[in-house]
Amino acid sequence: MGEPRRVAVTGLGVACAIGTDVESFRTSLFAGRGGIARLRSLDTSEMKVGIGGEVDPEFVPAGLKRLRRRPADRAVDLGLVTASEALEDAGLIDDAPPYEAQPVAVILGTAVGAAESNTTLQQRFAERGVRGLRPTSVPRVMDNAISGGISIHFRLTGANFVVISACTSATNAMGTAYRMVRHGYADTVLTGGADGFFDPFYYGVWNNLGVMSRNSDPARACRPFDADRDGCVLGEGAGMLVFESWDRARGRGARIRGEILGYGESSDASHITSPSAEGQAVAMRAALVSAGIEPADLGAVNAHGTATLANDVCESGSIRAVLGDAAEDAPVSANKSYFGHTLGASGAIESIAALLSIERGSLPPNLNLESPDPECRVRLVGGDPEPLERPFVMKNSFGFGGSNGVLVLGPGV
Amino acid sequence: MDADGASDVLARLRDVLRESAVEEHDWDAVVAETSIESLGFDSLTILDVLYDVEEEFGIALDPKQVVKTRTIGEIIALLEENGS
Repeated sequence: MGEPRRVAVTGLGVACAIGTDVESFRTSLFAGRGGIARLRSLDTSEMKVGIGGEVDPEFVPAGLKRLRRRPADRAVDLGLVTASEALEDAGLIDDAPPYEAQPVAVILGTAVGAAESNTTLQQRFAERGVRGLRPTSVPRVMDNAISGGISIHFRLTGANFVVISACTSATNAMGTAYRMVRHGYADTVLTGGADGFFDPFYYGVWNNLGVMSRNSDPARACRPFDADRDGCVLGEGAGMLVFESWDRARGRGARIRGEILGYGESSDASHITSPSAEGQAVAMRAALVSAGIEPADLGAVNAHGTATLANDVCESGSIRAVLGDAAEDAPVSANKSYFGHTLGASGAIESIAALLSIERGSLPPNLNLESPDPECRVRLVGGDPEPLERPFVMKNSFGFGGSNGVLVLGPGV
Repeated sequence: MDADGASDVLARLRDVLRESAVEEHDWDAVVAETSIESLGFDSLTILDVLYDVEEEFGIALDPKQVVKTRTIGEIIALLEENGS
């Protein structure tokens, strides 16, 4: 292995409650238009909570038709169609099969994996026992069906695997992808994450966990860092990014949409669900060291910002601990207020929001931040877009299990 | 089996194939001469077809015979041999 290489971002693809491609996502973000609503795809009449961030129901069927695929599983299909946008954006494929094989790795995050397929099989098993299990049940329910399906469909012959670390999954996956490119193990990686879990079982277990907002007004329910927040709101979605060695991207004339400057990770090693400010700070410091920048260089922090009582106070404390006085000059964005918590896809979707902010030189408003929680002692982006004074953004992701992952993102110039 | 019976079996078989398939196709264009491979089925996914055929038609087929079939017509012939 030679000298560490710069890592360019050359392709983006996204689907969530506020957009089903990068342009519609960007438009909604900077217009301050959220997408949380009552769930249409799931009967929640027996649940305490019935809201979430759903992807436009036309998106997956239309995308699968274009890709000439039958539906497989909600998360797999969301990932596949979103991957096609990122690969096209990077100029690696044309819009429809057949595709030429190419040495691109597929390293994706997912928290829940093939949730729809799992729930379907559980129902069939409960009703009919082993006889209800189709022969292809194993490849349908395995969590790496997402990366495997994308690799097979687009004929991407690099490594393919998923990273599973709850809500840190996509950021851990992107960190792994970053290192693969940076240290020469891969020239090009499709990375990011996908999760789709609006089914009775998976939404049900979250419903019973007691961390979801009970706010009766969907548009006002997800309130990161607000004093009146009362929990997270779930969202489905996928975010896909193409990471590529800077020189290769330049050499083929690709449009470079941003740079991955550094990555840090850690484990709280304390509690399975309660976050630790100390553990988070370790990952943030490691990311800054990896990027070779100081806290004062950061123009913004893209927070994990789940809007749970526990996360937002803890994360504010860890940001303040790491950035010190520089936290006053690094406004905090909390994108989940737009499309909810997309679990294993969240780090990818929010990194795309951060890259679009760097491209635009502006931070989108935080929604529902009407009374900032005085216990959250960071400077928060308000209800209007704000200029991004310096083009470096730290992206935080934290997950159950104690996993922390932090990326530092920069401009594509 | 008369002509109407055969076309009824074909129509039901098309529905089974569509449900088991990974790739999208013009299922109305599937006829007896259509090759199974051209619809994207392989030695794994044809097992789902076998499973769904048994569910739909209420009969048990020999997997070794199903794996040997090359066209839709050959699956129909197997169904007819087994009393559908």
